[in-house]
Amino acid sequence: MPTDTHKITFTINGRKMERTISPSLLLIDLIREELSLKGTKPGCLEGECGACTVLINGDAISSCLYLAVNVNGKEITTIEGLSTDDRNAPFDPVQEAMIQHGGVQCGYCTPGMVMSIKAFQEHCEANRFVPGREEIKKAIEGNLCRCTGYTKIIDAVESLFEGE
Amino acid sequence: MQKELKVIGKPMPKLDAGIKVSGKAVYGQDVVLPDMLYGAILRTEYPVAELVSIDTSKAEQLAGVVSIITADDVDVNNISYRRDHPALKKGRVNCIRDEIAAVAAETPAIAREALKLIEVKYNVQEGVFDPFEALKDDAPQINEFSSHEKNKNISHPFHYEHGDLQQQKDKSAHIVTSRYFLPRMTHACLAPCAITADYSNIDNRLTLYSVTQVPFLYQRDMAHVLKMEPSRIRVIQTVIGGGFGSKLDMYPYEPICALLAMKSGRPVQITFDREEEFIASPTRQKMVIDLTSGVDEKGKFTFRVAKIIMDNGAYTSWGATTPFVMMQTFSSMYQMPACVFDADAVYTNNVYAGSFRGYGNPQATFAVERNIDLLAEKLGMDKAEIRLLNANFRGEFTGQELEFNTCGHKDALEMVIDGVGKTRKENDKDQKRYKKGIGFASMLHVGGGAKIYPSDGCGTILKMDDYGYLTIITGSSEIGQGSETVLGMMAAEELGIGIEKIRVINTDTDIKPWDVGVHASRTSFVAGNSLLGAIKELKTKLSPKAAEMLKTDEDDLEYDGGTVKSIKTGESIKIDKVARQIHFKGPNDLLTVSHYYEPGSKFADKNFKGNISGAYAFAAQAIEVEVDTYTGNVRVLNIHMAQDVGKVLNPLGLGGQIEGGVVMGMGYALTEELKVDNGYILNPSFHEYKLPTACDIPEIHFYPIETIDEAGPYGAKGVGEAPLIPTAAAIANAVSNAIGVEIDSLPITPEKVLQALSNKS
Amino acid sequence: MNFNVASPETNEELFEVIAANQGRNFRFGAGCTDLLIELKKQPEKDLTVINLGYLNDPQFNSIENNDGSVRIGALVTANRITSDLTIQERLPVLYEAANQLASGQIRQVATIGGNLCTASPAGDMACALVALKAECEILSANGKVRVVPIEDFFTGVRKTDLKENEILRSVQIPVNNSGEKVHSGFIKVGVRRSMECSVVSLAYHIQITADDIITLAGIAIGSVAPTIKFASSACEYLTGKRFSEIGSSESEEFATKILEYASPISDIRASAWYREEVLFNISKSIFE
Repeated sequence: MPTDTHKITFTINGRKMERTISPSLLLIDLIREELSLKGTKPGCLEGECGACTVLINGDAISSCLYLAVNVNGKEITTIEGLSTDDRNAPFDPVQEAMIQHGGVQCGYCTPGMVMSIKAFQEHCEANRFVPGREEIKKAIEGNLCRCTGYTKIIDAVESLFEGE
Repeated sequence: MQKELKVIGKPMPKLDAGIKVSGKAVYGQDVVLPDMLYGAILRTEYPVAELVSIDTSKAEQLAGVVSIITADDVDVNNISYRRDHPALKKGRVNCIRDEIAAVAAETPAIAREALKLIEVKYNVQEGVFDPFEALKDDAPQINEFSSHEKNKNISHPFHYEHGDLQQQKDKSAHIVTSRYFLPRMTHACLAPCAITADYSNIDNRLTLYSVTQVPFLYQRDMAHVLKMEPSRIRVIQTVIGGGFGSKLDMYPYEPICALLAMKSGRPVQITFDREEEFIASPTRQKMVIDLTSGVDEKGKFTFRVAKIIMDNGAYTSWGATTPFVMMQTFSSMYQMPACVFDADAVYTNNVYAGSFRGYGNPQATFAVERNIDLLAEKLGMDKAEIRLLNANFRGEFTGQELEFNTCGHKDALEMVIDGVGKTRKENDKDQKRYKKGIGFASMLHVGGGAKIYPSDGCGTILKMDDYGYLTIITGSSEIGQGSETVLGMMAAEELGIGIEKIRVINTDTDIKPWDVGVHASRTSFVAGNSLLGAIKELKTKLSPKAAEMLKTDEDDLEYDGGTVKSIKTGESIKIDKVARQIHFKGPNDLLTVSHYYEPGSKFADKNFKGNISGAYAFAAQAIEVEVDTYTGNVRVLNIHMAQDVGKVLNPLGLGGQIEGGVVMGMGYALTEELKVDNGYILNPSFHEYKLPTACDIPEIHFYPIETIDEAGPYGAKGVGEAPLIPTAAAIANAVSNAIGVEIDSLPITPEKVLQALSNKS
Repeated sequence: MNFNVASPETNEELFEVIAANQGRNFRFGAGCTDLLIELKKQPEKDLTVINLGYLNDPQFNSIENNDGSVRIGALVTANRITSDLTIQERLPVLYEAANQLASGQIRQVATIGGNLCTASPAGDMACALVALKAECEILSANGKVRVVPIEDFFTGVRKTDLKENEILRSVQIPVNNSGEKVHSGFIKVGVRRSMECSVVSLAYHIQITADDIITLAGIAIGSVAPTIKFASSACEYLTGKRFSEIGSSESEEFATKILEYASPISDIRASAWYREEVLFNISKSIFE
């Protein structure tokens, strides 16, 4: 069966784009293959590891289980969209916390982990909520990490809310 | 007296953390070369079969297919140190991983589509999936290349002994014998395997963008398989998304990718999807350990007799040599007057095992520590006390001739016994449904490399430029463990320059000097010593000039704050100025040096005796668990971990290694098992192969113990493997303590727990 | 994996697309989290996915609090369920089930309708809805609506009562607003504490008057039979009893009644023996 193509418009990392895509294209393939943004990682392609997590309108989702046609009219943020252009402060606070607290080892889970944490941080801030360690664990339950044992990642997230 | 350290011992974020948190690190699956093709491998449908025919003609017709290879198309040698493993199988398949054909195509989808068009006729045969069956006389020979030393189906036999066994048996007040069953665990690196091969027929050179953790052994192995000169193979390591031992061997997909690139004349990339990663990656050795241990009436251990059957799978990897490590645990962990050890890696038609962080030691430690609890119970002795009584000590020369020049074993035990006493008090309420328990375990592991290969050394080249920036070109590899950061810290410490002026180059065999690779927790120790040697040589160029410029003696110099200083006068000069003077004024030299470090360890003799490591690491854990007697779920509440690390180099990196190792050990203890039935893998997905999640982790209390081993850089020992080694043993002891049942196998699944409770009542 | 996608935005467009695909191979996709995994494993030929991601109809998309009931549109995600205050307070069983589903990333897109229509015996929200005696509102492409009790909605493993031209629009959950206490929760047993597919699950929702009498009990069990089961005899056993007087012998009798509804199989995750043992234990645990 010949499949139709679909035209979608979306914003990715602040850039507005229009693309003609195959209807069954997955978001992860749009991001990695069509847009060559390789920071989003393929880990399992079945929603079990979280390595491919990106934000859609600020919410963390698994890009391996998301149809690219469903980003029409929406805003995507990938890991590349978190860093800033400021040479003196190139990182988002989540990235900076992960670096300073040793939350990164092999780094393959890191982009997805950072995106999950980013969504969680914004959610907590919007609700004026300071999470405890158990809530932080729950927030990253869908991001598997094989290197760190999670502890330093949880430390990093906790530090984002210190003084609040 | 050691001078005060300014960088070493202080927390330092990883040098590569910035590119990793930004998504800019290039992993194997991110490599893109011009005109690149995508490869895919056809694996067998049946674990054991005769290959009657392979017809690739339909696949060749598919638009976008560029080349297809089978065993008939290539002229190659076998892989593996036993040379028993053909990259592409001919005539028959021996396990469910077996590679039959490979395709290179314009897109990954076309490559996969082409695999479906390859027609293979199989004559399916019965397999041998139980190593005990494989040892029987009437079993078929499983691997045709087996070298028949002891039995046609034994890939590698080991025998070791020391002490007077009979005398020690006579001394024993109690003797226990148990059989332990240890499962297959797999590395489950977050990044699946990936390789890109690029062959140039202009200069007959092959470039591999690889995830190996042992690039120089890999280069040599690849050359052997492809019948090329090693120097024509350039190995460029991409950023590696997890190793843990899985990348110690070369696997068939790697030469297959090279062969596809050579045949098609274009770069080819092969990446595994998660299912292929589970099916085609190696595992920790599944093994059965029969262990008999004795103790005298005072609680001193008398002897151990261990007989181990390891399921090697159909082919041999480095993993078959894990008995080298296991025998140390049986012979030398806790004082041990007599030990007899036998281990056989037995061929079966199961998937083959490989090397995995801990290298047999988690299995050995499980057996030893379970037996210790049983002995303590027989004696009516406290389980902490019996361990303290038998702990290893500084200056001990073990039956296997290991020399413990430093030893924090007893200190480690004391720390965790004290630690768990405190947390136990906090949670002391035992309920009807939830039962709490405590378990102890220790570990002994090499901490200064392991002399197995003809050299256990590492080379370093240093280059300081005219602006005072330092490039460290090290043979060692970074696989996430943080060794390059530790190297940067050492250079910053010694040369007094900021870490931001230091760059570590460690990924290209065309550039970097030789190193045996990442294994045996050796990198900080061996590469660190190599770097310190190189810095010493660099200073033989820097110091005379600086002394001349400061009009003082070389002994009077201090490298600090980007300068070289006279301690006497306080006068200083910028280090880059010294570098420029050397370059442009005289002696017109460049600040480049190289150094090769070989640890002072010895090769084991033919009886496996000898001091094979430059230092030894010790650790102890005390773990507190809560068992849900309604569901059988075990919740780990607190892990107390004390480890003799020699010296803390980077507390941030060290903590990460410890926590990561402990949680990996928890997975081994409780949730992880690659299930194989009649040669087929039943759970090749993250859905069914259960890694611990963030919600599963306990509080981890880590107590580093500094024994300052003079062999190590600043006194440091290797740390990477240790934290995972005793964890499963301690958890098993804790579960047994909580509910009063024998735990003789891993993982301790809820069902096993409930079954044990039901059998008990 | 190659398929066409139709993305209706209005009810009319939805009816048109359903009508146009009668007799052809089509699947509905809401969050698509189960669907895409299934299609990756077993690609289907000539498939059209009717993508509900852009369907703009409050009856599909909203949570409505009516007098005596809560109506949840089929396209409401697990995440919206967990953040709804009424559900948190009045229907803890549903809140807990939604909150224990997969991961945050999945809960962000997975819908309650999807969880029901997948008709897995391990469905978390589905199990809670069975305990809550929800009713399914089914819309057909000719505009007709029918309502079926949720227990009748599931007809087998991965099978529902939906006809080819029908779609699930919402579920309606009775809520007692008389101010009675609820003892309500979802127990999911697996190997890990997160990211699990249940080995056994138990949903319970019990209403208790101010003077301690159980007026209503809903108990459902998952992963122990081809479909999620409502344990009616166990519910009847509880009704009329004083909640605080349920002791260990009553709770064991209750658990024994629940067990009658279980016919578990042994599979890679657990044996039938284990599932029955655990079901018995967790059943009695709700009164401890």
